[in-house]
Amino acid sequence: MEHTVQFAPATGLLSGMWLLVALPAVSAAVLLLLGRRADRWGHWLGCLSVGAAFVLGLLSFFALRGQENRAVQLNLWEFISAGSFRVDFGLLFDPLSAVFVLLITGVGFLIHVYAVGYMEHDEGRRRFFGYFNLFVAAMLVLVLGNNYVMTFLGWEGVGLASYLLISFWYVRPSAATAGKKAFLMNRVGDAAFVIAIFLLFAQLGTVNFDGVANQVHTLSSGVTLMLGLLLLLGATGKSGQFPLTAWLPDAMEGPTPVSALIHAATMVTGGVYLIARSNFIFTANSTLQLVVVSVGALTLLIGAIIGCAKDDIKRVLAWSTVSQIGYMFLGVGLGGAAYALAIVHLLAHGFFKAGLFLGAGSVMHGMRDQVDIRRFGGLWKYMKITWVTFGLAWLAIIGLPPLSGFFSKEPIIVAAFERKDWTAWLFGIAALLGAGLTAFYMTRLFMLTFHGPKRWTDDIEHPHESPPIMTIPLVLLAVGSVAAGGLMVGPVPKWLTPVLGHEVRGEAVLAHSAITILAIAVTLIGAGLAYLLFRDGTATAPQPAGALVTAARKNLYIDAFNEAVFEKPGIFLTRALVFLDGKGIDGAVNGIAASVGGGSGRLRRLQTGFVRSYAMSMLTGALLVVAAFLAVQYGWFA
Amino acid sequence: MNDLKLPAIDYAALAPMLILFGVACLGVLVEAAVPRARRGLVQVPLGLLGLVAALVFVIAEAGTRKRTAGEAIAIDGPALFLQGAIIVLGVVALLLIAERSLEPGGPFVAQPARPVGSEADRSQAAGEGGATEAYPLVMFALAGMLLFVAANDLLTMFVALEVFSLPLYLLCALARRRRLLSQEAALKYFLLGAYASAFFLFGIALIYGYAGAITFSRIHQAVTAGTGSGVLLFAGLALLAIGLLFKAAAAPFHVWTPDVYQGAPTPITSLMAACTKTAAFGALLRVLYVGFPGATWDFRPIIGVIAILTMLVGAVLAVTQTDMKRLLAYSSIANAGYLLVGVLAMTPEGVSSTLFYLVAYGFTVIAAFAVVTLVRDADGEATHLSRWAGLGRRSPLFAGVFTFLLLAFAGIPLTSGFTSKFAVFGAAFGGGQVWLVVAGVVTSMLLAFPYLRVVVMMWLSEPGESTPSVSVPGAFTSAALVIGVLVTLLLGVLPGPLLDLTTRAGDFVR
Amino acid sequence: MTLTPEWYLLLAAALFTIGAVGVLIRRNAIVLFMCVELMLNAANLALVTFSRINGTLDGQIIAFFVMVVAAAEVVVGLAIIMSIFRTRRSASVDDSNLLKY
Repeated sequence: MEHTVQFAPATGLLSGMWLLVALPAVSAAVLLLLGRRADRWGHWLGCLSVGAAFVLGLLSFFALRGQENRAVQLNLWEFISAGSFRVDFGLLFDPLSAVFVLLITGVGFLIHVYAVGYMEHDEGRRRFFGYFNLFVAAMLVLVLGNNYVMTFLGWEGVGLASYLLISFWYVRPSAATAGKKAFLMNRVGDAAFVIAIFLLFAQLGTVNFDGVANQVHTLSSGVTLMLGLLLLLGATGKSGQFPLTAWLPDAMEGPTPVSALIHAATMVTGGVYLIARSNFIFTANSTLQLVVVSVGALTLLIGAIIGCAKDDIKRVLAWSTVSQIGYMFLGVGLGGAAYALAIVHLLAHGFFKAGLFLGAGSVMHGMRDQVDIRRFGGLWKYMKITWVTFGLAWLAIIGLPPLSGFFSKEPIIVAAFERKDWTAWLFGIAALLGAGLTAFYMTRLFMLTFHGPKRWTDDIEHPHESPPIMTIPLVLLAVGSVAAGGLMVGPVPKWLTPVLGHEVRGEAVLAHSAITILAIAVTLIGAGLAYLLFRDGTATAPQPAGALVTAARKNLYIDAFNEAVFEKPGIFLTRALVFLDGKGIDGAVNGIAASVGGGSGRLRRLQTGFVRSYAMSMLTGALLVVAAFLAVQYGWFA
Repeated sequence: MNDLKLPAIDYAALAPMLILFGVACLGVLVEAAVPRARRGLVQVPLGLLGLVAALVFVIAEAGTRKRTAGEAIAIDGPALFLQGAIIVLGVVALLLIAERSLEPGGPFVAQPARPVGSEADRSQAAGEGGATEAYPLVMFALAGMLLFVAANDLLTMFVALEVFSLPLYLLCALARRRRLLSQEAALKYFLLGAYASAFFLFGIALIYGYAGAITFSRIHQAVTAGTGSGVLLFAGLALLAIGLLFKAAAAPFHVWTPDVYQGAPTPITSLMAACTKTAAFGALLRVLYVGFPGATWDFRPIIGVIAILTMLVGAVLAVTQTDMKRLLAYSSIANAGYLLVGVLAMTPEGVSSTLFYLVAYGFTVIAAFAVVTLVRDADGEATHLSRWAGLGRRSPLFAGVFTFLLLAFAGIPLTSGFTSKFAVFGAAFGGGQVWLVVAGVVTSMLLAFPYLRVVVMMWLSEPGESTPSVSVPGAFTSAALVIGVLVTLLLGVLPGPLLDLTTRAGDFVR
Repeated sequence: MTLTPEWYLLLAAALFTIGAVGVLIRRNAIVLFMCVELMLNAANLALVTFSRINGTLDGQIIAFFVMVVAAAEVVVGLAIIMSIFRTRRSASVDDSNLLKY
């Protein structure tokens, strides 16, 4: 490595960064422990703690800007110590964690406020805010930890919070199942992450980011490949990427603010964070980068294709999330300058996707929790604010200039074309295609929901706009959707340079301007096509369709594939093991137990109670011992 | 005529033993001079004070390494540690023995032939003060044990063996309830004990014939020189070992243990299980490590086989026991096997781990027997296992405490049972005795079964009409119980200080 | 034939064996106890003989100690046997057979 990574100790305001985690954590504890007593004011405490954390995050951000070394760590206490293994409960505030802290607390605060209105009529609102705060605390641990074990701690914490919130309405079987599905699929990735941590410790003797960064060049390429693949599997699990995609759309069973915060803006980007944080490992091995790029490109296409065929407003957005995170994986996989571009897209996506989800929630709020876009239509007249904000977020996500999606997505497409060999064409065209598909399904969603004829179910008479407590966050997020991309694309990569390295741009196989024009063109084509097809609404019942559409409706058979390849053999294996355990192992154990018991029953008869027979056994024993001694002495056994 | 040269005697080093013998003799005088009703009030404080004073001298002597009274007594790390352990365990056992509140008249009787319900027995129950003969006997026994672990020649060891054995034989016969069982236990213990000491004595004669001397240092010289008749040496060593293994309750010399443990008054059983075992292993350590280390390669396989046999017998026979005291007796036999594993490491770690094990096991076993004294019905202690069914519902606190103690016996982590087993197995592994470790681990698994069976019985069965109540313990029993449980927990969680102490105390003087 | 010390050792071994076997085949507790005493005295004989062979006095001194210990043992043993005889009216060790299995 040309430069060694060194973290400065925290001073001044930054030495209070533990409060960032402590505020929501304490709030969560209060809400969950006080029980019903906190029902009346609990949600305000939840908002307040996240808001305070946001303010503190902002102050810390400005404090960090004034620092010479923009990586400040704070070791709170020794977390685990065993032999030469030592892990501190340590926090790291550097440019990368700073932007994540601002995203999590900022967007998180808006969604918390929104949820006050959204969950108003739900009896479990206090519990909801307790879990929500728990999530924020865990997510902050994830992005603030200064070693992999801390990251893992947060990783598991957000997994737990996600599980609790997906199955928040646990009386619904579908919600309970979705929670379990998310949990189980995440375990696969988590196990890989843990093994990666073990491997790091075994190879380098440390799990601290600075230690790993400084020593990673000593590892052989096989080890870095192994490490990277394990971390990638962990990342795909958390981020719903191929092959661990299937849980994310099902996670929409949770309340909509959960979908907005956890399953769109923050937690699911944890995988991107992990790869960006581990950039020193991924940069060290080009095969690894190719794998990451492939995962990203494949997932962005899968998500976009399935998104086109879904009729559930939240599912469409969920697949859209899968697809957009695919872009981010593409970015971090490309490496170099694209690391920062992926982070920019992540931040921009945090705004517009949160806006979209909250808008969807607002629509559902007004439409008696309907989610089928075939039964919407013409809503623009009834919920103006939602319409406008949703529209702005729509334009942002499809990447129309000058909204933020354009500034964050287009550079990634350009970067894909900058690869060294023929793969530039492969990934570049995949990224372009994805952009077109995105424009198509998002336009379809927007048109069917807000325009065209009314196709409402009979029970809905007067759809209504949501109360201000929900619309104000919508407006703020819409402002972010419009402006964030343009504002961030310049300064953020510069800000992230200390973490992600200097910008090295390659030569694109096409001229930059040509790519830009192409990107805008496919977007317009996709959007226009959708407009033409869906401006007059659509049938309210499922229509027969071709093979591709049917496949897309069935999630491209990913679930079926999982069932056939993992679930069925898994169940068979479990049954076989249970059988083996029951007949073989338990049988052996029971057999041994029975023979010990039988032997014991017979042996205890030797204890006759007659003192003379005891003397006999002692004398026999004595003779045997003496004989054995003499035998050893004279080598009779030898 | 030659001048008679008297050997130098270091009275400070001998003080613990002298104090206890003095207290025991005083106790006899108290029996003669003080009215029966007030004897208990005098004997208990006298005994406790004597033990505390002896402990003070033991602590004051810490770090001493010398032989005194000619070469008869060795005061070194192991001797002082073992003396301290015997004294502390003796204090706890004495608390159990002194308990009078569980049943009127106490657990002992002055004249074993006095039947339950007779005139004299009723007057004892009516508060005449109870039998106090046990106290001087206990003090004699403890004093003998202190001498036993410090004995540096075979004659002193023999005399000490008898000095602590004879009072124990008598103590076994003193139970007020279940008189016949108690007397039978005493008779068996006495006859077999005398039989074993005869073997021990003949072993002394043979070793004397081999080495021409009886001090361990001279014996060691003779063994390393390799002169003399091997038959004398090995037959002698075998017979010596038999005498010690009898006291340690190793198979096949364990046969007395279940009967005696069951028949003896429970407080005396706890004394035997904790202190006698400590003394026996202390002496065994000294004989093998100081007198016969030159013959390690000859005796290790044989005593190793005995150790495995002991663990197996203890574990297997514990499985089908139906009486709580017998169950604990077989557990004590199995533990003798684990202790032998530690001894046979024949390394400094072997000594220190064995010392640690003795202390840890002693406290746990005293606490376990303390619980046994509490579970009683109108006829005294209810020791049959079936009577313990459902105890968890009837008295969760004591069932919980007993569960903890059983888990400690089973060697579950966070109890002293785990750390001590870990220590002896580790030492044996370090000493190259992998076969013993394997046998130890296997039998530990077997042995977990009877313990867990009791746990399951206590918690998962419904209490029946015959489920006895758990008496509220008096101050003495409570103290003994609390000390035992706390030490069991403490040595499981924080074994460091005691392990350090045993490591520092592990060096014999030769 | 001259009497060498070895003959005394053989005698001691024989006495010891008689005692050890006697414990096994006799029923009366007192006789059992006498057999144990016989074993102790066999050991004494061996000690004195070795003392002679080795030319040291230790063995003879030990023998005295053993006699004293044996006397103490007799006291304790007879006390136990007496008390059991009083309750059971029998000195047979086979009658004491309640504790078993």
